[in-house]
Amino acid sequence: MSKRGKTFNIMFAGVGGQGLMLLSAILGKAAVDSGLKAMTGEQHGLSQRQGSIYVHFRIGEPISPLIPYGKADMMIAMEASEALRYVEYLKEGGVVIMSSRIMPSVTETKSVALDKEKKTKYLTVDDIATKLKQVTDKIVLLDSLELAIKAGNARTENSVLIGATVACEDFPIPAEEVRKAVLALVPPKTIDANSRAFDLGRDAGSACLG
Amino acid sequence: MTLEDVKRTDSGPALMLANEAVVRGALEAGVKVVAFYPGSPTSEILDSFGEVLEHFGDFKMQISANEKVALETVAGASMAGQRSFTSMKSVGMNVASDSMFSIGYTGLNAGCVCLIADDPYAHSSQSEQDGRYFGEAAYVPMIEPATAQEALDMTKWAFEVSEKHKTLVIMRTTTRVNHQRGMVNLGTLNRTPFKRNKWADVKGQYFTVGSVARALKAKLLKKNEAIKRDFEKTHFNKVVPGGGNVGILTAGVCFLHVMEAMQNLDIALPVFKLGTLFPLPEKKLADFIRSLSTLIVVEELSPYLETRIAALAQRVNPKLNIVGKRSGFFSEMLEYNVPIVEKVLAEVVDKKISIDYDAVLKKAQKLKEILPERPPIFCPGCPHRGTLWAFRQALQQLRIRDKIVFNNDIGCYSMAFLPPNEFSDSMLAMGASLGISAGMEMSLEDKVIAMVGDSTLYHAALPGIVNLIHHNSNVTLFVLDNSVTAMTGQQFNPNSPFDAGGTPARKINMEKLFEGLGADKIVIIDPYETRDCIGPIKDAIESDGFSVIISRRECALYGDREKKKRGEKIIPGENVKETCRVIYACVKEFYCPAIVIDESDAKMVIQQDLCDGCLECREVCPVDAPRHMEVKK
Repeated sequence: MSKRGKTFNIMFAGVGGQGLMLLSAILGKAAVDSGLKAMTGEQHGLSQRQGSIYVHFRIGEPISPLIPYGKADMMIAMEASEALRYVEYLKEGGVVIMSSRIMPSVTETKSVALDKEKKTKYLTVDDIATKLKQVTDKIVLLDSLELAIKAGNARTENSVLIGATVACEDFPIPAEEVRKAVLALVPPKTIDANSRAFDLGRDAGSACLG
Repeated sequence: MTLEDVKRTDSGPALMLANEAVVRGALEAGVKVVAFYPGSPTSEILDSFGEVLEHFGDFKMQISANEKVALETVAGASMAGQRSFTSMKSVGMNVASDSMFSIGYTGLNAGCVCLIADDPYAHSSQSEQDGRYFGEAAYVPMIEPATAQEALDMTKWAFEVSEKHKTLVIMRTTTRVNHQRGMVNLGTLNRTPFKRNKWADVKGQYFTVGSVARALKAKLLKKNEAIKRDFEKTHFNKVVPGGGNVGILTAGVCFLHVMEAMQNLDIALPVFKLGTLFPLPEKKLADFIRSLSTLIVVEELSPYLETRIAALAQRVNPKLNIVGKRSGFFSEMLEYNVPIVEKVLAEVVDKKISIDYDAVLKKAQKLKEILPERPPIFCPGCPHRGTLWAFRQALQQLRIRDKIVFNNDIGCYSMAFLPPNEFSDSMLAMGASLGISAGMEMSLEDKVIAMVGDSTLYHAALPGIVNLIHHNSNVTLFVLDNSVTAMTGQQFNPNSPFDAGGTPARKINMEKLFEGLGADKIVIIDPYETRDCIGPIKDAIESDGFSVIISRRECALYGDREKKKRGEKIIPGENVKETCRVIYACVKEFYCPAIVIDESDAKMVIQQDLCDGCLECREVCPVDAPRHMEVKK
C-alpha cells in the first residue's frame, strides 16, 4: 500500500473495445465484497472503438477520483503501448501487469507501410518494457491471448490479467474474492475457462514477481 | 451490477457511478416523467433510466429530439403535477436555455430538476463552456455535488427545493463527477403507480410577456430571497474546520482534490465546501472569510466563485488576499487534479509538495517519445469511413477538391477533420452546418457542402434546411443515416422505430420529409457498396439547387449488438497474400484500425478479432484483395 497506508491505486489502460470497463467492474465488486472502499475515475463518452482508454481505480481511503502522477501502485494494461501512454501515473517500483498484445494505430501502420526503405518498424513490446524499466523492475508481461487459449477460450484474456494482480504481495483484495467476482460477472458458459485463465494469470504473475 | 443497485428497494451501501446515483436519487424522490437528449458526460443517466424503465413500469420516459424539447417536456409534466427530471451536457443547455429563462419567470409545480454537465478539458465537447452562469442569469437555483453520494442526496434534495419554491432546480456537475464511481449509501425505494392527473386539480398559469413578465420578475426576486435563506441553512454548504488564517473556498470535484492535496501536505486549512452556486449563502460565506487573511479559491474554468467572493470581501474583509485565477495561481483552462491543487497550496503555506510532480511528468514525457499517437478514429465497420472515402473520390474525379467548402456538424463524423479526410472548414454546434452554409452560399464562388447525422438532423438541422430550401440555395447536404445517435452510445432518435428502453415509436420517413420540403434532388447510397457511391455523390454535387445525399447503413456498434441478439456471427475479412499488391490504398486512404502490415513481407494483414467484416476495404482496394473468411459451419 502507499505511504499513507490507506489507499492502493491502480491505473487501468487499454484500447476501446477490449473490455476495460468490465475489468474495472470486476475489481470494484471484489473490493466491495471484501469490505473495502473503492472509487474510480472513468473515461466514458465518445463511443468509438480503438481509442486509448483508462480507468483510475482506487481502493482504501481515496478522496479524489484521479490518481496523482507518480502514485499508482499498479498498472494493468490490456494493450502494451497503452501502459507507456499513462506511465506518468506509475510510481517508482510499482507493479505493471501488461498484455504483450499491441494494436498499432492507423498512423503508425501508415508510416510503416510508406517507408520505401522498410526501416520504420512497429513499436515492440521490448521497446516498451525497456522504457517502463526506467520506472520499475516489477513488470509482469503476459501473453494473455496464448494463456487464454490454453485456458480453453480466447476471450478470457481479461481473467488472465486479473489473475496476475493477486500475485502482487501488496494487493489489498483477497485472491478468492477476486476470483469470485470474476466468475460472477463473466457469461455462465465460460466460468470454467475463466477460472483456469485466472489461475494461469496468477501463476504467471507469481513467477514474475516471486 | 450497479443497475441491480439502482433497482433494489432496500437501503444500504453500493458502489455506483455518480450518473447512476443520480438516477437512484430521482427514483427515491418519486420521479414520474423523465426526458433526455443524450450527451457526454450525462448519457449513462439516460441509458440507466432506459434500462430500468420496464422493471419499474411506474414512470414515463422519452428520448427527446433535442435538449430544449426535453426540458419543455419535463416542465410540462411538472406543470401537470408530476415530478420530473432531465439531464444534458453543457452545450445542451444552450439549446434548452430559451425556454429555461422563461421557466425561471413562470415557475413550475411538481418537483422538476435539470442536471447540466460541464466538461473541463473538453474531453468530449466543442468547448470548455462554464454553465454556472446560467443559474444566476435566469434566477434559477443551482447546486453542485462532489461525490456519487452527494449526486444521490442532492438530486433528492433538489426535488424538495423545486417543489417548495415552485421553481426549476439546476444541478451542475463536471465530467469527473459524472464519471466517478464511489461508495453510496442508498435510501429506501418506495415507488408508487403512475397516475394521470386532471388539469383542474393541478392547474396554474405559465405564461410570461410584458406586464405579466414584470409582475413575475418582482415575485421571482422575492422567491430568490426565500431560496437564499434556505441555502444559508443547508448542510450542503459546509465548513470543514481547520487551523490558521488561510482558508479555502471550493465546490464540486475540486473539493476532493483539495482534501487529498491537504492530506499529502499534512495540513488542515479551514475549507468552505459550497453546495449551492446560486443563490450563494452570502451570510455563511461572510462569516467564513471575515477572520481570514488569505482565501484560496479552487474552481475549474472561469473565476465564477472568485469574482463573487471578491465582491463580498470588499464589504466584510477588504484586506483579504485572494489566491485564485486573477492572481495567476490557477488557470482558467483545462481540468484540475491533486497535483495542480497541491502545488498551489504548498506555495501558499510554504510546504514541500509530497512528490516532485513536474519531474515525474518530465521523465514520462521523455519515456513516451517513442510512443506513436493513437488518434480517435472511426470503428472497424463504420459506414462513415466508406461515405467519406467515396466523397473524396468524387471530389477528385470532378477535380473540385479546392473548389468546395465543407461545413461539418456534431457527431462521430466530426472526425472527418482528421486524416485521411481532413475536411476542417467548419464545425461549430448541433445543426450549425446549415446556417453557416447559407451565409457561405451567398458569399462564395465555391460549391457549399454540408454534413449531418440522422440524430443531428432532427435535433437542430431542420430549421436550417427549411431556410436553405426556402431561399433556393445551391447546397448539397449529406445525411449520414446510421439508425441511432451513435457517438453517445447508440441511443434511439426520431429516425428509429423505438424509444427509450426499446419501446415502440414512429420512425420519421426521411425521404418523404425531404420530398415534402421540396429538395431538388434526393439520392440514397449504401456506404458498404463504397465504389458505387461515387457516381451518385458526383451527380448530387453537380446538380443545381438543394440536393440531399442520404448515406444509409446502421452504426457498426449498434449493428453488431443486434446481430449478436439474433445469434448471427460477425464474419471477419481475410487478407489474401497472393492478391495483395502492396498498393496500400487500405492504409493510406482508409485508416481502418483492423488493418496492419506484416513486416516480413510488407503485405496487408487484417486483425480478425478487430475486423467487423464490412469489406469496405475490398471496395477501396484496386485489386479487390480482402475477402471474407471461409467460415466452417
